Amino acid sequence: MSREEILQTKDKIITHLRGILGDDAETIIAERRYGFISGLLKDVLKKPPIERLTLSDNIDKVVVNRWLGIPLFLALMYGVFQFVFTLSGPFMGWIDQFFGWLGGYASGVSPDWLGSLLADGIIGGLGSVLIFIPPIFLLFIAIAVLEDCGYMARGAFVMDRLMHKIGLHGRSFIPMILGFGCNIPGIMACRTIENPKDRLTTILINPFMSCGARLPIFVLLAAAFFTANQGLVVFSMYIIGIIVAIIMALVLRKSILRGPSGHFVMELPPYRLPTIIGVLVHMWERGRLFLIKAGTIIFGVVVVVWLLSSLPWGVEYASAESWIGQIGSFIAPIFAPAGFGQWQAAVSLLFGFLAKEVVVGTMGAIFAVEEGILGGAIAAQLGWTPLVAFAFMVFCLLYVPCVAAIGVIRGETNSWKWAGFAALYTTVVAWIAATLIFQVGRLFVS
Amino acid sequence: MTVKLLTELKAGEKGRIVKIGGKGGIHQRLLDMGLVSGSEVEMERVAPLGDPIEIRVKGYNLSLRKEEAASIQVEVA
Repeated sequence: MSREEILQTKDKIITHLRGILGDDAETIIAERRYGFISGLLKDVLKKPPIERLTLSDNIDKVVVNRWLGIPLFLALMYGVFQFVFTLSGPFMGWIDQFFGWLGGYASGVSPDWLGSLLADGIIGGLGSVLIFIPPIFLLFIAIAVLEDCGYMARGAFVMDRLMHKIGLHGRSFIPMILGFGCNIPGIMACRTIENPKDRLTTILINPFMSCGARLPIFVLLAAAFFTANQGLVVFSMYIIGIIVAIIMALVLRKSILRGPSGHFVMELPPYRLPTIIGVLVHMWERGRLFLIKAGTIIFGVVVVVWLLSSLPWGVEYASAESWIGQIGSFIAPIFAPAGFGQWQAAVSLLFGFLAKEVVVGTMGAIFAVEEGILGGAIAAQLGWTPLVAFAFMVFCLLYVPCVAAIGVIRGETNSWKWAGFAALYTTVVAWIAATLIFQVGRLFVS
Repeated sequence: MTVKLLTELKAGEKGRIVKIGGKGGIHQRLLDMGLVSGSEVEMERVAPLGDPIEIRVKGYNLSLRKEEAASIQVEVA
């Protein structure tokens, strides 16, 4: 039979079945299948089926309770957040110190260019990847526990209404919360979302969740420019990030990622006690991929940046005469409408691509001052007003996430196109937001 | 016997499925999860924010959105 004949025969049978049974084929097949199952069960099942799994039911009476459901969910998310980022803090500190020590040791190697390549390029690059191991592996432990015990489905059940409103899925909420610690585990947590468009949207808005690495920028500038309202200004960054994320979720879901949202027909499994082996296997399966995929990409970019900072031969590392300094001077005018069109700002933003906290370090290196008085130096030497500082903070909040996050987006979407899109569109959004703030703000404050 | 939409059941109320509507993927998915005519369903609860709902069918708990459940008709004794 040819392909055509098979399809014709199929259609004929479907019409025939509809004629005698009055229903479509898939319904008939499903009904017969379940009919067969229940007939079989009557013959072979001696014990009457257990009417209730009472323990699970009782737990659910509290966990998805009308009043307690949401507070409990938020408390659990806070718990996961604390577990991941508090516990990983010291480990990250040690890794940072270790690579700092190793880099200091390597920078003494002669000739100078080799020492710089080892210290600033290779060791710095390795450190920037390996420092994410503690939060990532701890996050995967936390997610595995939540999944294996059965809570993950309940969390999605509780949050779905809210997330569905902005075009996402109940399962999109957890990645967004995690993004506040670090976007990388947030993006990786999107794996629990089945529908490809829901998942992609959740990945693409995750960078707007203000991660821990952006905090040093906010703290430094808020202290220098907003002495009276530091806390409020830093807090406003988080709120702006959330608002932009919601807006962009809606925009993406109505434009390039238009389409029906994933359905929510899903089992709420009975609660079970997770096993240690199961949790560790899950953690390792997921964590290993980060090391392989992100490691190679991040490492490559770090070496390229080192080259740009060191060439042409003989310039001081990352100075105005280096290639990256020249690129900074070249692109600086782009930022003039947002108020910070100086080459120093542009170069620090370029370096922020490596890791956002590097923005502060780069400024420190350019002005050659300690972090303690850096804010004052920026105000004095660049002539920034509080409005410019605020626009700059918003730009740092929204623009391209760090190279590690882009590497992970590439890994998770298996597409350079989406990784490139994420880098580009976040930067465009950041530029628009910063420019808007500066231009509108200028009308009200001099 | 009255026929109602699945979404109209109150918590604890039971019914027997008479018809599954819905189109394409969602229809298939509902059937795959055991929501076929003749199946007993019991409304367990509504999520804290009013959507989705949780039902009990074929001995397990299933969640689905109201828009998905509204395509299912049940008869109530």
